[in-house]
Amino acid sequence: MRVGKIITAVCIVILAGMMLVGCGGEEKKPAETAKKDTSPIKVGGLIDLSGPTSSVGVPYAAGLRDGVKYVNGEGGVDGRMIELDVQDTAYKVQQGLSLYKKMVNTDKVVCIQGYGSAVTEALVRNLAKDKIPDISASYSAHLTDPKKAPYNFFIAADYTTQLRAALKYFRDTWKEERAPKLAFIYPDHPYGLAPIPGGKEYAKELGYEIVGDANVSLKAIDATTELLPLKKLEPDFCWIGGTTPSTSVILKSAKNIGMDTVFFTDIWGTDETLVKLAGDDANGSYSNQAAAVYGADVPGMKAIEKLTEGKPQMSHYTRGFVSILVMAESMKRAAQNGPITGESIKIALESLRDYDPMGLAPAISYFPDDHRPNMAVFLYKIENGKMTFVKEENLERRAEWLGH
Amino acid sequence: MQGKCGLFFTSYPGEAQLFPSGFQKLMIGLFLLVLLAAPAVLNVYLTSVMNLIFIAVIGAVSLNLLTGVCGQISLGHGAFIGVGAYAAGQCTLHGVPFPLAILTAGAVTALVGMVFGVPSLRLKGIYLAIATLAAQLVLEYVFLHGGELTGGSNGLLLDSPSLFGFSFDTDARMYYLLFFFAAASLLMVSNIMRTKFGRAFVSIRDFYLSAEIVGVNLFQYKLAAFGLSSFLAGVAGGLWAHYTGYVSAEQFNIGLSISYLAMIIIGGLGSVLGSVFGAVFITVLPEVLNVLANGLGAYMPEISQHIVALREGVFGLVLILFLIYEPEGLAHRWRLVKAYWKLYPFAH
Repeated sequence: MRVGKIITAVCIVILAGMMLVGCGGEEKKPAETAKKDTSPIKVGGLIDLSGPTSSVGVPYAAGLRDGVKYVNGEGGVDGRMIELDVQDTAYKVQQGLSLYKKMVNTDKVVCIQGYGSAVTEALVRNLAKDKIPDISASYSAHLTDPKKAPYNFFIAADYTTQLRAALKYFRDTWKEERAPKLAFIYPDHPYGLAPIPGGKEYAKELGYEIVGDANVSLKAIDATTELLPLKKLEPDFCWIGGTTPSTSVILKSAKNIGMDTVFFTDIWGTDETLVKLAGDDANGSYSNQAAAVYGADVPGMKAIEKLTEGKPQMSHYTRGFVSILVMAESMKRAAQNGPITGESIKIALESLRDYDPMGLAPAISYFPDDHRPNMAVFLYKIENGKMTFVKEENLERRAEWLGH
Repeated sequence: MQGKCGLFFTSYPGEAQLFPSGFQKLMIGLFLLVLLAAPAVLNVYLTSVMNLIFIAVIGAVSLNLLTGVCGQISLGHGAFIGVGAYAAGQCTLHGVPFPLAILTAGAVTALVGMVFGVPSLRLKGIYLAIATLAAQLVLEYVFLHGGELTGGSNGLLLDSPSLFGFSFDTDARMYYLLFFFAAASLLMVSNIMRTKFGRAFVSIRDFYLSAEIVGVNLFQYKLAAFGLSSFLAGVAGGLWAHYTGYVSAEQFNIGLSISYLAMIIIGGLGSVLGSVFGAVFITVLPEVLNVLANGLGAYMPEISQHIVALREGVFGLVLILFLIYEPEGLAHRWRLVKAYWKLYPFAH
């Protein structure tokens, strides 16, 4: 019974505490003065620091934090510092939703730096309602249509555009008379499926012969069974949509069964860890990247190297960094026209034309009726265990591709 | 037994009352009043947490009806909630009024639940769990490849629910809508448990052979349990879809099914009140852990990174501790607390 008493007492204390927090948690008034506003600009970060996508979420968050450090070091936005509060969503919609509500309503953030598809997409309607822009790392094409997602932005070409750009590159470099044969390998997952219809359509237009598909799960430990039928079809090119673990499994299995094809992956399929995971089997594969790799010869890399004291970072880090640069630029523009609010940031973002994030990513433009940041993608090839820059491939901005 | 000292029943209907004593009625009335006034006091964030709790309560109580009361283990509850979400979403997208859309979602999900409940006649325990897991996987596939019906990998975008031109577009407004549905669901399940159905369900759970011998049609009642439970799951799904305004296949994965199972285990199997406790506990736990992680992070920034990673572990640990020390759930603890105060200051 003594234990019971203790538990009862603890429960009562916790309940009482929660009630007090609940009652008193409302007011937090920033000192409004007639003088120039020097209060920090609050930004919320909804990132997967734990859960299935955390291996890339953590470096992405580091990029965001260092981006803020850089912008603040350069004098901030109109003399105001950016204050970024990164919280963990663990790829859970419910967690992301309640964190979002807290950030917007209690912390009064004016912008969100988002991350995973599940949370970003679940917030689409709330963002529009609250007029809070979300610059996320979920590059699904349907988030680029302002009619459906007016407050969603991202700094990389969407998944489908990236795939199309890679297809264009390989078609342009194809020398043989016959049509190149193409196969698609992707997980049966919203993220894996998203670019497939658009990619196939464009492949047909370019004159590829699509020979087959294979589903390889993101959690696969072997892909031999899935790849054997593909091997018989002898594709010249194989698209891999997935994450680095699944890509490494596919590359290793392909090597094992002696599959002779050129593999190319999407943005999450290749990063610096792929070389560690797949070893030599990764050599010769191509990837789409939306940001320069660490040490690239671009102006922005100097700032990054200074911030990281020369310690190499993953490409996800650079994208996080660019995401902050784009946001800060829009805030600066918003500040010139009046107070910085979610709505004014959105309008400023839509006024960006060929904004160059110091060479770290292809130039970015958003339009009120088109949130595709660009139609460009960096192509990298893994050679001798290193990601080497191949080309920046550009596509035309076709209206019918918007949102698909 | 459950009532206050000196409360004796002289009839079966008397004993079957939901709130046998005036004190209980008064307390529940006060509690409802506090809940009704809550959005005026709570900030938007806390209101949104309450909204999530209300939706979780409906999902948990529906699973408890199936698993806790009737003994039919289901690992596919998350998918059933998804069926409701898509069904309600399609209804409102096609102009069906919101209340009707929710009811249709319930009906469609009940139908789907009953189809997947058919194997329950032959399968029990862990076998049934795997059969319902199959339901989860099949339905997830349908969500992702449903074409126009489910929006495929793009999902469905929905508007806030509206009723006679009044839009439930704020958290406070949604609060009342969800509160209504949560209260109605609790009342519905409480009443089901007092009827012939409820007694049949309990008899099936306790021992199916005895139930059959006393004349319970096993197949019919098991299917009814699946149908009733899925109906409420569909309602929860429809509400969730319209609360977030977005439905996608990723939201209704096996993780959701497991978290609903965790709710009823932590709350108390077979108890309506337990479903509420479990829903509150599982919904609030991540928020509390977040607050703790942030609080600690302010003092020890280098530790906060590890706390974030530890959180999943803490969640698992809490579950295990509950299974060891409080296998009958929070509802049982609540009964002990009540008993303690009933006897106070005498320990026995």
